[in-house]
Amino acid sequence: MNERIERAYEKRPKGWVFELAIAGIVLVLLIWSGSGIETSGTTQNGGKIAMNILSGIFHPDTRLLFNLTTQGVPYLLLETICIAFLGTVVGAVISVPLAFLSASNLTPKPVAFLGRMMIMAVRTVPAFVYGLMFIRVTGPGAFAGLLTMSLCSVGMVSKMYIEAIEDLDVRVLESLDAAGCTTWQKIRYGILPQLMPNFASTAIYRFDINLRDATVLGLVGAGGIGAPLIFAMNSYRWNEAGAILAGLIALVLIVEWISTKIRVKLARG
Amino acid sequence: MSFYDKLFPPKRITLPNGKSVQQYRSRGPAAAVILIALTALSVKITGFNMEVLIRRINEFFVILGQMFPPKWSYMPQVWKPLFDTIKMSLLGSVLGSVLVVPFAMLASTNVIRSRAVVSGMRLFLSIVRTLPTLVTALIATYIFGLGTLAGTTAIAVFTFAYIGKILYEEIETVDMGAFEAMEAMGATKVRAFISAIVPQVLPSYLSNCLFCFEGNVRYASILGYVGAGGLGLILNEKIGWREYSSVGMILIALFVTVFVIETLSRAARRKLV
Amino acid sequence: MIEFRDVNKKYPNGFEALKQINLTIEQGEFVAIIGLSGAGKSTLIRTINRMHDITGGTLTVNGTDVMTLQGKNLRSFRRNIGMIFQSFNLITRTTVIKNVLTAFVPELPWWRAAFGIFTKEEKLAALEALDKVGILDKAFVRADQLSGGQQQRVALARTLAQDPKIILADEPVASLDPVTAKQVMDDFLRINRDMKITVLLNIHHVDLALQYASRVVGIRAGEIVYDGPADQVDQEVLDSIYQAGRKEAV
Repeated sequence: MNERIERAYEKRPKGWVFELAIAGIVLVLLIWSGSGIETSGTTQNGGKIAMNILSGIFHPDTRLLFNLTTQGVPYLLLETICIAFLGTVVGAVISVPLAFLSASNLTPKPVAFLGRMMIMAVRTVPAFVYGLMFIRVTGPGAFAGLLTMSLCSVGMVSKMYIEAIEDLDVRVLESLDAAGCTTWQKIRYGILPQLMPNFASTAIYRFDINLRDATVLGLVGAGGIGAPLIFAMNSYRWNEAGAILAGLIALVLIVEWISTKIRVKLARG
Repeated sequence: MSFYDKLFPPKRITLPNGKSVQQYRSRGPAAAVILIALTALSVKITGFNMEVLIRRINEFFVILGQMFPPKWSYMPQVWKPLFDTIKMSLLGSVLGSVLVVPFAMLASTNVIRSRAVVSGMRLFLSIVRTLPTLVTALIATYIFGLGTLAGTTAIAVFTFAYIGKILYEEIETVDMGAFEAMEAMGATKVRAFISAIVPQVLPSYLSNCLFCFEGNVRYASILGYVGAGGLGLILNEKIGWREYSSVGMILIALFVTVFVIETLSRAARRKLV
Repeated sequence: MIEFRDVNKKYPNGFEALKQINLTIEQGEFVAIIGLSGAGKSTLIRTINRMHDITGGTLTVNGTDVMTLQGKNLRSFRRNIGMIFQSFNLITRTTVIKNVLTAFVPELPWWRAAFGIFTKEEKLAALEALDKVGILDKAFVRADQLSGGQQQRVALARTLAQDPKIILADEPVASLDPVTAKQVMDDFLRINRDMKITVLLNIHHVDLALQYASRVVGIRAGEIVYDGPADQVDQEVLDSIYQAGRKEAV
């Protein structure tokens, strides 16, 4: 009895070497990344500035917040929504053919690989670079912003579309085949109904992200709420920044709440 | 019965044999109307103009064309900011994902019974999540000065918010039997959490952290634009000076880095789950 | 009438799935095909609507030589044969009625098929088909919210809406629990009796086969080793179908 237990003990999995190695590597990486931390002389009054920012954010400039002209927060938010919305639509449309080209269960391996590399390349370029490039096309403003948004959306959206396409249930096609459907009828009734909820859900999710990321566009003058926000922050007008941020946060929370509801509905029916 | 069904009452269909069923009105037409209206509004407000786009789209490729061939001799100057970007995102991801654990625990309905604590925590996490990373980075540069510390903070805040939501959703789906058994044996909530819930959640938590890290490397390259260190700094500079072949070099370096990190982390994630 | 004459089926890798099959099934019969996994049950069923091609002999269904069919002819031929699968093969993300309505798709003009426009008659026919299998109340529910047995009934309703002469079923109850399996088999039996539709199913529950089918065909290693009434199947017959095959396999 004892021997058997001892033998079982001897046979215990010795995963600790591997785990220790992983822990060691992670530790070394962390120390290494800690070495990169630098600031150009932390400002002595950092704490004071933080207090200023906080007080500004909690005492937003209500005149700006409820100003109904094109300079006011409501209009800026509307413009931001429009940029994010149309950007998502355009991006989602562009993603469809890209995703079908890059789905490894539909196209030959080299083509799919090439498509994936292209999607990754599109995803890697930071948004403000695209912004600058599009400003050359359209001039500064919301139009450039929406084009930037759509190109930025393509990366993630097409990646998720590919996953949906690769998860397709092909058994349905077999039964449609047995019922005497033609190829395009099989696509219309076997594939589209499977993909539509998924695609819609992905697009809505991306709309959320685009709304949140729309501030980046302001950096390069591509419209939306980003530019006034960054101007306000750069000139230390924290009350104004607070007003804009308050509006943005409220908007994003509301949109997220609605989009989660829709997405749950799409997933569960 | 939802509001929509009250507005458009369901149709009754009667079969020849006398039985009948209710068909709820499809949401499709309403969704289409909303979609078209929003698109029209957006086109008007953003000044979307197909004609301009087609006529001038070649301008987009002008800069792109100037990026190639990239200026390979510029590469030696790219290394440091590139590694700064990786360091920022690594440290930021680790800080954020570790710090959020207790908050996520407090935001899980199956661990904490008090509705008030849970909703409070969730609201807090939601608000942090809505903060644009760029704004966090900008604020961080005011507090910590220009440099990578500000970028690291911004990434930590973003990771905190992102992982927080995923983590509490994950915790809520675990099998609670083991947790209850631990509590019944007299363990404290924290002890029971560590030995009953952590092992169930750990693989997907690590996987999500890795995924977040992948995205953060990409994101960190933007932060330099507001002075928070890393690639964005030189990217901004080179764009300003119109040295597009150097910009091309930076982008290629970023692409390769992201590719390598994604490949490694995907392999690791496949092992985890 | 389905008629197999010296039918052979050889897969490209050289495996002989069917050897010299001779079988005649009259309109309105309820036939169960039994045998070990890999004996050729599934292949036999699938040659009838030419989901699989045969490589020798002739197979005629209601006077049509199956192997001469192609393209459009093949599709309209398949309209008369319903098929049920082990895995239900529904579009789970849409409603039950939309699943049933796909039965009409091959006959629609292209523009109606493209936009998914169905007439009231078609919708009523779909609902009637659902009523026949007893799940009328689930018509507007999404298919993924139904249980396995209910999903198989949706598949059955989809097939009925096609108004077939023959229903082929490939392990229709294999992924169902015993109670729902019986319910689905009851549906098959009712359809067979009331609508005079030929039902041809392969099944590995011998007791269900003997209980419901009027005729049993036993297959072993691609050959028919028993063909006769269900009530004459005894232990000896079962041994010849299963035991011998098992010895060969070992």
